[in-house]
Amino acid sequence: MPRIGIFICHCGSNIAGTVDIEKSIEAARGFPGVVHVDEYRYLCSELGQDLIKKAIEEHNLDRVVVGTCSPRMHEVTFRKAVTEAGLNPYLLEVANIREHCSWVHKDIEKATPKAIALLRAAAAKAALNDPLVAPSVEVEKRALVIGGGIAGIQAALDIAEAGYIVDVVEREPSIGGRMAQLEKTFPTLDCSACILTPKMVEVAQHPNVSLLTYSEVEEVKGFVGQFDVKIKQKARYVDPVKCTGCGICYEKCPAKTPSEFEMGLAKRKAIYVPFPQAVPNIPVIDRDACLYFRKGRCQICAQECPPQAIDYEQQDQIIERRYGAIIVATGFDQMNPSHYGEYGYGQHPDILTGLEFERLFNASGPTGGKVVRLSDGKPPKKVVFIQCVGSRDKARGMNYCSKICCMYTAKQAILLKEKVPDAKSYVFYIDVRTAGKGYEEFQRRAAEEYDVAYLRGQVGKIFPESDHLMVHGVDSLSGKTIEIKADMVVLAVASVARADAPEVGRLVGINSDSYNFFNEAHPKLKPVETHTAGIFIAGACQAPKDIPETVAQASAAAVKVVGLLSKDMLQGEACTAEVNQAECSGCLYCEAVCPYSAISPVEIEERYHGGTLKRTVVEVNPTLCHGCGSCTVVCRSGTINLKGFSNEQILAEVDAICLQR
Amino acid sequence: MAERNTEQIEKIRDVVAQDLLSGRIDLLLGWEKGHYWWQSRPLFARSKKDLDKLVWDPFCAVNLSRYLPDELKIHSKVGVLVKGCDARAFNRLLQDHMVQRDRVVLYGLPCPGMLDYSRLAEEAGGNLVGLVEQNGRVILKTDSGEKEAERKDLLIEKCRDCLYPNPVVYDQMLFSPQGEKSAPERFKVVEELENLSAEERFAYWEKELSRCLRCYACRQACPYCSCRECFVEQENPRWQGRAYQTSENFMFHLVRAYHGAGRCIDCGECERACPVGIPLQELNRKLIKDINELYGDYEAGLDAELEPPLLTYRPDDPAAFSEK
Ligand SMILES: Cc1cc2nc3c(=O)[nH]c(=O)nc-3n(C[C@H](O)[C@H](O)[C@H](O)COP(=O)(O)OP(=O)(O)OC[C@H]3O[C@@H](n4cnc5c(N)ncnc54)[C@H](O)[C@@H]3O)c2cc1C
Ligand code: SF4
Ligand code: SF4
Repeated sequence: MPRIGIFICHCGSNIAGTVDIEKSIEAARGFPGVVHVDEYRYLCSELGQDLIKKAIEEHNLDRVVVGTCSPRMHEVTFRKAVTEAGLNPYLLEVANIREHCSWVHKDIEKATPKAIALLRAAAAKAALNDPLVAPSVEVEKRALVIGGGIAGIQAALDIAEAGYIVDVVEREPSIGGRMAQLEKTFPTLDCSACILTPKMVEVAQHPNVSLLTYSEVEEVKGFVGQFDVKIKQKARYVDPVKCTGCGICYEKCPAKTPSEFEMGLAKRKAIYVPFPQAVPNIPVIDRDACLYFRKGRCQICAQECPPQAIDYEQQDQIIERRYGAIIVATGFDQMNPSHYGEYGYGQHPDILTGLEFERLFNASGPTGGKVVRLSDGKPPKKVVFIQCVGSRDKARGMNYCSKICCMYTAKQAILLKEKVPDAKSYVFYIDVRTAGKGYEEFQRRAAEEYDVAYLRGQVGKIFPESDHLMVHGVDSLSGKTIEIKADMVVLAVASVARADAPEVGRLVGINSDSYNFFNEAHPKLKPVETHTAGIFIAGACQAPKDIPETVAQASAAAVKVVGLLSKDMLQGEACTAEVNQAECSGCLYCEAVCPYSAISPVEIEERYHGGTLKRTVVEVNPTLCHGCGSCTVVCRSGTINLKGFSNEQILAEVDAICLQR
Repeated sequence: MAERNTEQIEKIRDVVAQDLLSGRIDLLLGWEKGHYWWQSRPLFARSKKDLDKLVWDPFCAVNLSRYLPDELKIHSKVGVLVKGCDARAFNRLLQDHMVQRDRVVLYGLPCPGMLDYSRLAEEAGGNLVGLVEQNGRVILKTDSGEKEAERKDLLIEKCRDCLYPNPVVYDQMLFSPQGEKSAPERFKVVEELENLSAEERFAYWEKELSRCLRCYACRQACPYCSCRECFVEQENPRWQGRAYQTSENFMFHLVRAYHGAGRCIDCGECERACPVGIPLQELNRKLIKDINELYGDYEAGLDAELEPPLLTYRPDDPAAFSEK
């Protein structure tokens, strides 16, 4: 018979307010195998833990049940406490009587019996707990950063500075991300390239960093400390060693195609670098645009390239590497607002998104830095900015606030005034949100010093009329209709998750919210961790955010990675699956459902009618098993079992709840 | 006596006798006459002589594939006569890795549907002594004379709504296939049950399952039951209570039905095996219908290469459970 001790926590009044502790203690004394019951105000405190440790010694306890908050919260704490008292940590069982009981009920009369039932179930399970030992896992001292925007760059730099090796995988030919597309940055108006380019160069030159641009992650296997990753490095058709970055190839290339970097507002060549400050400054050939790849003729770049770096035969490469930790920093996209018919996006060249407008300021942008109308090349004198296009819009867009638009609109209105001094800006807004250091002052300046008219209200319709855009809106403060004869309209469209975010999430094994932004492990206390150990997130792939916030998060993620890599060994999963091979029928259903490829068939020999018989059964690789339990549900004969959550234990819990009411 | 289909039987014998002699197979699973003339039971033929007993008549309902896993333990190559349902059962076993394709030779028998003795006897009225088949009609012979009836009205339950009378997998097809079939009433009873209130439905099953003897004949007949130790017999944990009471019968039948989700090939052998006539096929068909509705049309046993829906992970799976 086990000797079980039960300890009930008041959690201040969190539990004690809704669960009758006295009654619970009384009931717990009667559970099978229970030899000691106690309670404490805050069991997780030093004193609370001491109480448990002492009781283990005094009463010779060999199983401990705590009635506390969720095991997510404090299982680790209590496991540590019982270990210090000489027990195996897996002999501890948590009955979650807070989240599962006191917090979700009001009536003490009903919550108390439920708490008692949960305690009884935990005690029944604890009686069947076996001591378990977690295997040790060696930590590969190398980190992977997916996405080379400002988030990825910052994280990689911080990890590299701490002395660890880090690879950055960037899908595009250059790192830089969205920040490379920006002109100046709020709230200080320093030029984006001036602050970003040095960082890009620094990360590229850092001895601990390898940049894998024009590359994508194809597969992630393994677990924290040992992620085995396959990376596809797409063929550039340019030899990076020979290329000097002189740029003659793209000067001479005759084939043009819309530039992604300029969002189609300008053209680029078939062989190209996305923007002049690109890092690495090595062009790529876009097969779909290249005349040689399409028609078999041309090869001008190969003829013109002084160091003969062009190599049409180059193939995609698969790189396989092991990493101890991964940071996902894949950034964000802009919503396409075409479905907002009233704004006419896509139907008139002078109706732009904020990011497109941003490019008009840039000296290397589609207009060479002149802020002009794309329809006729004239500078716009009246520009209407519309806020919250697709943000805070339950019906047609996203519920959330995109957070950066109020600020970049103010920025763009200021920049416009500087470029076109007689221009007038109008901003239609729901409300202006400028929380952040120096932000409110910045927006005020736009309104007060740069003559920007803020109009609280909505735009109902935009009509092209001769060479103008007639903007019809309503001022919701005065209720008056407003008509503006605008030269240009700029839509602050919602920042959204990248279209392939769910796929990336699946690849690395992290989940997303309903908008496809990656989920952090805890909204307050674990903002860069995910629910998958060893995988962290940073930047706008988690939620829309500006550069300061992105950089802060990137550094935070880097610290987590550095902390992890600084360990030589990690504790693996102790609760892994195990098979009773004698009973296994070898149907291999478990192999099919195991998401971690931890199960594989093996042949065994068995006695049969005097002879021996070979047959197939399965075995589990405990270092690959994450203990998700998928196999145990698919196995009809219950032959594969999860240690610590065996069928027996679960059934004992169910019985403890059902049989005694 | 049922009139012997001598021509077809000879053809089968010729083919399999050769294979037995040449060593292509060392056992043939077929049918022989049972205790009564209206019963055909499995035949385990190891020699040409054993084949004298082989029959192929309207009573060969037993699904022979079910015997394969055991026979393959002692024989290196086994031949099986397969009707539509035996062939689907073979695919089930193949997908469950209970048989190896290269150790089995399948002889395909397109199936006209098997006859139900109790229906025959009822229709005949008097003491039924034999029958003759003629163009879709059956002439029933009794002590007192003859009576004619439509063949389709005399089929056993599992053959009435059979969609695949022709073997879907075989090495050699012995006769020309049956025409296409439809089964418009396959889910009729299931739909009727679905329309009942939860209480009515419970009452219905309580009545049916209260008769269960827990003899486990259904499990023994089933090609999807391939566990080494069935959950009902396990001691640790003891899933199945031993008490002889309806709630324990529920436990058995519900768990068994769930084990067939996406796996049951609708051969109806369980129901045919049940000595107390529990309509088990209704339970199985409910799951077949649900699987089709949740994950798209899937017919277990049709194609061993097609991944069963519950073993498939697709990012675009309809999240039907979370939506409700
Ligand atoms: C119009 C506009 C103006 C702005 N102005 C300002 C401003 O003035 N001040 C300010 O603070 N902020 C501003 N911002 C916000 C700023 O752009 C973001 O905060 C910042 O870019 C977020 O950086 P990030 O690295 O998280 O994402 P991103 O910049 O999006 O970088 C992500 C990187 O990951 C790469 N990537 C994506 N998917 C994959 C994949 N599967 N595999 C490999 N690589 C991948 C991308 O190619 C990209 O390089 C503005 C935003 C907009 C839209
Ligand atoms: S619990 Fe089973 S399914 Fe899950 S990882 Fe382990 S072996 Fe694979
Ligand atoms: S599901 Fe169960 S019976 Fe089938 S192979 Fe896996 S452990 Fe064996």
